[in-house]
Amino acid sequence: MNKPEFYQRLAEILDVDELQPESVLRDFDEWDSLAVLSVLALADSKYGVTIRAEEIRSVVTAADLADLVEAKQK
Amino acid sequence: MKCIFRNKRISAILSVVPGQESRFDDERSNYNLTEEKARRMKKMMGLDRHRVAAPGVCSSDLCVYGLQQLLNEGTLKKEEIGALLFVSQTPDYYLPPTSNVIQGRLGLGHDVVCLDLNQGCAGFVIGLMQAFMLLDMMDADKVVLLNGDTASKLVDKHNRITYPLIGDAGSVTIIERCAEENPVHLCLKMDGSRHRALIVPGGAFRTPSSPETLKLVEMEEGVVQSLEQIHMDGAAIFNFTLEDVPPQIEEVLSYSGNSKESIDYFLFHQPNQFILKQMADKMKIPQEKLPNNIVGIYGNSSSVSIPVNITHNCGQQLQNSALRVCLSGFGVGLTWGSMVMNLGPLATCQTVDYEAV
Repeated sequence: MNKPEFYQRLAEILDVDELQPESVLRDFDEWDSLAVLSVLALADSKYGVTIRAEEIRSVVTAADLADLVEAKQK
Repeated sequence: MKCIFRNKRISAILSVVPGQESRFDDERSNYNLTEEKARRMKKMMGLDRHRVAAPGVCSSDLCVYGLQQLLNEGTLKKEEIGALLFVSQTPDYYLPPTSNVIQGRLGLGHDVVCLDLNQGCAGFVIGLMQAFMLLDMMDADKVVLLNGDTASKLVDKHNRITYPLIGDAGSVTIIERCAEENPVHLCLKMDGSRHRALIVPGGAFRTPSSPETLKLVEMEEGVVQSLEQIHMDGAAIFNFTLEDVPPQIEEVLSYSGNSKESIDYFLFHQPNQFILKQMADKMKIPQEKLPNNIVGIYGNSSSVSIPVNITHNCGQQLQNSALRVCLSGFGVGLTWGSMVMNLGPLATCQTVDYEAV
């Protein structure tokens, strides 16, 4: 997985210019149920994996989310 | 389940929607949404306006209005009707069946079989299946399939997740025998282990109506609901739609000997624009062959969304010519069903506004 590319896509979902791996998702104004759906769609369409809602709820940082998607790809 | 129906066709479809439009921009203040969030939601889900029935107007009223019009204009005669199917999650009463009520209102004969089916998003496909099966067994010529839902009565005005998406509608579909083979291929699956993903948890007999089930609770900002209203696990439904439906579309295409190219239109249930775009991308179906505009014009009307999709997007075409279509309904149950058939030319294929009689 190309992590910088993943963070860029995540930044687009959160409507910010850039995102640090250690950024806490909950701190973003745009991190809501629509953003969660967008992440599920991103995981499915670009990375071919299905993430469960409860898995997203346990994620804290952008890096956690990247790791979750990457782990599912294996 | 997979099966093929032969020598039967749909001969008319009429959709009926409440005359009054309600606009998302005007409802925004109900949801505690900032302008920015409202804009994002509108764009992503494809929201603009929807149809909401007036208080006192039931699903059955929309269906009766449509059926009366087909009888008046002579598209259908009372004595041709062998069965009346009413598919809904918003009946008039717990008992009797609403289909019996409708039979009485229209003065239909005692030989008409009346059946209510409790189905939602897949309810058009399941209604067609039931209609085809009845035509196989009975001697009458025609079955009338009524789909009606007024989900506006199952959601709160102050719920930004459900209220903007729903729409009320009714439809009348006439199914009849035909001399040509006209095969209809159906693939249908159900998974009751996931029934809680889309549910009205209270008000029936598992959790009877009480002050507790009627209490409106603010689950999060702008999401108000009671136990007697629709609860949706959006993420679970989203994953279900992307994981389970595309393989079924592939299955019904290969079962019917079709390719994506040989299908003129993929006329699917209309939950929201976002999920329909995702589905089209995932299945590599051109967006223009898979309409996704119904939520933003009428709202998601549960089992009526496929008929409304057909009459709104293909009405003109289907009154004059035939199309090869793939229908797919997916949601509450969970249930997902897909059909491939030749549709048209139809005696009637239009959307009309309901006016209180």
